[in-house]
Amino acid sequence: MTAQSDWVKWDAKEISYEIHSPTHHDYTIDKSSFGLRILSYARNAYYYFISDVDGDNCPFFPSCSAFFIQSVKESNIFRASLMFTDRFIRDMNLFKNNNRYSLHATKKYIDPINNYLLEEKRIILTTGEFIE
Amino acid sequence: MSLLNNYFSNHFLNSINFYQTKVLAIILFLLPFSTILFSQTMNIDENYFSPKNRLAFGNFLFIQEDYLRAIEEYKNYLMYIDNDTVRFKYAESFYRIGKYNEAADNFKSIFYGSLLSDEAKLAFYKASFFNGSYNSFRDICKMEGYQSEKYAKDINRLFLISHLMDESILPDTNHFLKAFPDSTKNKVRELYMMKKFPSKKNPTTAMLLSMFIPGAGKIYTGEISDGITALLTTGVLAYLAANNFKHEHNFRGWLFAGLAVFSYAGTVYGSYASAQIYNAGVRLNFDNEVKLYFEKRNYLLPKINFLKTND
Amino acid sequence: MIKKIVLFTLFLFNVQVNAQNQISIQYEYAHNLMKTRQYFDAITEFKRTLFFDIDKQYSYSANYSIGECYKAGAMLDNAIQYFSIAQYNARTDDEKISAQLEIIKTNILRRTTERAHQILNEIEKISSINKDSVNYWRGWAFIFNDEWKEAANSFAKINPNHELKKLAEQVDMDKVSVTFAKVISYILPGSGQIYSGSILPGLISLGWNLLSGYWTVSAFNESRVFDGSVLLGLIWLRFYRGNIQNAGDFAVQKNNEISNKALRYLQHEYKGNRP
Repeated sequence: MTAQSDWVKWDAKEISYEIHSPTHHDYTIDKSSFGLRILSYARNAYYYFISDVDGDNCPFFPSCSAFFIQSVKESNIFRASLMFTDRFIRDMNLFKNNNRYSLHATKKYIDPINNYLLEEKRIILTTGEFIE
Repeated sequence: MSLLNNYFSNHFLNSINFYQTKVLAIILFLLPFSTILFSQTMNIDENYFSPKNRLAFGNFLFIQEDYLRAIEEYKNYLMYIDNDTVRFKYAESFYRIGKYNEAADNFKSIFYGSLLSDEAKLAFYKASFFNGSYNSFRDICKMEGYQSEKYAKDINRLFLISHLMDESILPDTNHFLKAFPDSTKNKVRELYMMKKFPSKKNPTTAMLLSMFIPGAGKIYTGEISDGITALLTTGVLAYLAANNFKHEHNFRGWLFAGLAVFSYAGTVYGSYASAQIYNAGVRLNFDNEVKLYFEKRNYLLPKINFLKTND
Repeated sequence: MIKKIVLFTLFLFNVQVNAQNQISIQYEYAHNLMKTRQYFDAITEFKRTLFFDIDKQYSYSANYSIGECYKAGAMLDNAIQYFSIAQYNARTDDEKISAQLEIIKTNILRRTTERAHQILNEIEKISSINKDSVNYWRGWAFIFNDEWKEAANSFAKINPNHELKKLAEQVDMDKVSVTFAKVISYILPGSGQIYSGSILPGLISLGWNLLSGYWTVSAFNESRVFDGSVLLGLIWLRFYRGNIQNAGDFAVQKNNEISNKALRYLQHEYKGNRP
C-alpha cells in the first residue's frame, strides 16, 4: 500500500461539473466612504467603456486600475498617484526583468501594492509560480 | 453453525450410551469457550481494537506515513499501556504533520524516568525550533531543566543556527563557528558573513540619484531597464512640453509638463521603493539558502533510528 | 475414535468461522461508516480490515471502498490509486471491469479525459464487456472535455433517442463559433461581440474604433505626424486589437455559459448514472 497525504481530517466534498470561466472585473461599489463610492463609480465607468473594450493589455496582477484603487484605499490620492505613475512606467518597459516578479496563475506578473507602501515589513515576495 | 452441531449431536446421541451422551453434551457446551483458549495458544487475537492490535496497526500506519491515523491508534493504546517508545512515536507523529506544539508537549512527558529521555529532549528542542518563533526557542534553550547531556552540542548548534533565521544579533564569530564540524565550517562562515554584512542598497541614495537623473536610482538597485524606461519617459514628456510651449500650443504644453512632473515624481518614489524591494529580495534569498542548506543536512542533528522499526 | 475425529473437526470449524466472522464484522463496520458519509474514518477501518485480513479475502472490496471514499472526498488522485490496487487484486473479470470503470469515472471527474478514453479503448476489446456501457462513459468523457458533438455521437450508438444524445446535440447547436466571431471582428470591429450576444459592448467597441480612426486620419491629413502616430499606436490599434480579443473572449464566455447550464442540469437533475 502507498502513503497518504491526508494529514488533516477531511469531509465529503462535491466536485462541480461546471467549467471555470476566467474572472472579469469586479463591479462592486465600495460604500465605506463617499470618496470611495465616487471612485468605485468612476472605476466601473472606466471598466465598462474602456478597459473591457480595449482588451487585456496589462501584464501585471493586480491590473493598473485595480492597483490604483487599492493604493487609494491603503493610503491617500496623492501617494496613490505616485504609486500608479511608477507602476505605469514599469508597465511601459518592454524588457521587464523576469526575475523581479513571480508569476500569477493567470500568467501575469505579481506586483502587489504592499511592495510600494514604503514599509519594509509589508513587502511580499514569492519565489516560483503563484498558485491561487 | 448451531444447526450443524445439533444434527451431529442428535445423530450421535442415538448411537451412544447415557454416560457418553453426558460427556458429549459437556464438550459441545464448552466448545465456544475453548476457541478463546485455542486462539490464545495459536496467538490469534481477534479483537482488532485491543491495545496490542492498536499498536501493531499504528506502527503500520506510521511506516506508511499516515501519521494522523497513527496518532489515533497510539492515543488509544496509551490509554491502557504506558510505553515510552510508543509515546515517542506518538509525539513524533505530531511533529511530522507540523503540529509542533502538540509534539513538544508530548515529548516533554518522556523527559524524566525514561531511557528515551535524551532523545525526547532533542526532539522537543527540534519541535520548538520549528514552532515559528526563534526567540521563544532561544528562551527555552536557556532553561536548565530541559538540558540533555548526550545531545548538548547538537542543541547548542541548533541554538546558534536560529540566529541565522531571524533578525536577532549574531553571536561572536569564533564562538559561533566553533560549534560546527569542519566539513561545514566554510559554508557556515559564508552564511554568517552574509548575515552580518548583507549587500544592501540604501533607499535614500536611490531616491537622491533619481532626483538628480530620473531613473538613475532604479539602475543603482539593479532595475536597469526600468531605470532607462523612466528616464526616456520623463525625457520625452519634458521635450514634448518644451516643444509645445515653443510652438505656443499652451494647453498641450501644460498637459505634457504636468505628465512630465508626475513621471519624475513617480520615478523618485519608485526608486526608493525599488531599493526596499531589493533589500527584501536579499533577505528572502538568504533565508532560502540557509533553510535549504540546513534542511539537506537535517540541521546537523543525529537521526533517531528506532523510529524506522515496528517496535 | 470416529466420534473424537468428528468433534475435533467441529471444534476447528468453530474457530475458523469465528475468525471469519470477526474480519467480516470489521469490514461491515467500515462499510457502515462509509454509508453514513464518515469517509475519513471509513478509510481507517478499511485499512484496519486489510491489515488484519491474513487470507486477503477483502483485498479487492476494501481497496475499492477506500477508492470510493476518496472519490467522495474529492481526493481524486488517491481514489484512482486505490481503484488501481483493487483492479490488481480483482479475482474475477467482473471485479476487474468494475474497478476499471471507476478509474474511468474518476478520470472524467478529474478532467483527465484522455486517460479515460485510453482505458475505455482498452476495455472495449474485452469480449464480455457491455458496449453500451463503454459508449455511455465515452460520451461523458467527451462532455467533460466540452466536446458535445462527439458526445452526442457516442450516446447515439446506444440509442438514437437517448436523452443525453438530445441534450448534447442541443448544446452543440446553441454554441457560437469563436473563429467566426474573431474573423468578422477583423472586418467590422464590434461585430464579433454582437454575434455573441453582447450588443452594447460591441457597439462601444465599434464607436471607439470609428472615433480613434477619425482622429488618426485627421491628424495625418493635417500633417501632424507625431500626433497621428501616437493616436494610431496607442489608441486605434489598442481598441482594434482589443476588439478581436474580446470577440474571442465573449464567444468563449457565451459557450461556457451554454455548457455550464447543461452541466448544472447533469449534476443536479439528471437521474441516470453519473461519474
